[in-house]
Amino acid sequence: MAIACPVDLDTRKLRDEIRSIYARVASDPSSEFHFHRGPDYAAEFLRYDRAALAQLPTESTASFAGVANPHRVAPIEEGSVVVDIGCGAGMDLLLAAKSAGPRGRAIGIDMTEAMAEKARASARAAALDNVEVRIGDAMSLPLEDSSADVVISNGVLNLTSDKSVAFGEVFRVLKPGGRFLYADIVVANELPESIRKDVDLWTG
Amino acid sequence: MLGQVGFRDVAVGEKFDTFRGTSKERIARKYGVTGINIFARKA
Repeated sequence: MAIACPVDLDTRKLRDEIRSIYARVASDPSSEFHFHRGPDYAAEFLRYDRAALAQLPTESTASFAGVANPHRVAPIEEGSVVVDIGCGAGMDLLLAAKSAGPRGRAIGIDMTEAMAEKARASARAAALDNVEVRIGDAMSLPLEDSSADVVISNGVLNLTSDKSVAFGEVFRVLKPGGRFLYADIVVANELPESIRKDVDLWTG
Repeated sequence: MLGQVGFRDVAVGEKFDTFRGTSKERIARKYGVTGINIFARKA
């Protein structure tokens, strides 16, 4: 089910391309991309609760570009420390912060400064003071060992060039018994080498 | 792969037709690319 990164894929180019595309999603979410964005997509395609999305700042929902729905995997309990890897503009992060409540904490990690700043601004606009956003990479999370009750991620870890390192990082930061509510894409059929080397497709 | 790094109780959940209506829909259909929810727990 997983996609293996070809050994000769230019991973630096991949990271630069990911930064560039998602900076554009942050600044101009209504422009042309090869993936859907926004709250209507989230509700219609991914079964998010439309009423819950309507309560979030538009800035956080308009740039949403997830691929599935971690909030339908299992509930986030009140008081939890939740980490969102690749939090983007913060839609999943703010939903997690609301579930965790004032006794909990939601920590977003994103490699794109424009997205991280949008998520911070959205948390302020939503008056959620249990949200923190850090700049970081899924392959080297800026978090202590065994510090999270729940890790969520939506459509991000498929962008990493080495999934075993990324999953190892999730494992490292979770407390024993901690849960990983993981949303991503899978590929049912073997991809030809030409597609596996196509950076444009990796960034979708 | 989740099991290999030590996760337990790995369970595949809902699937989503994530690329329907996008410019990559044809490729997604050809190779069976879908959105998916997965649960895993650290023992």
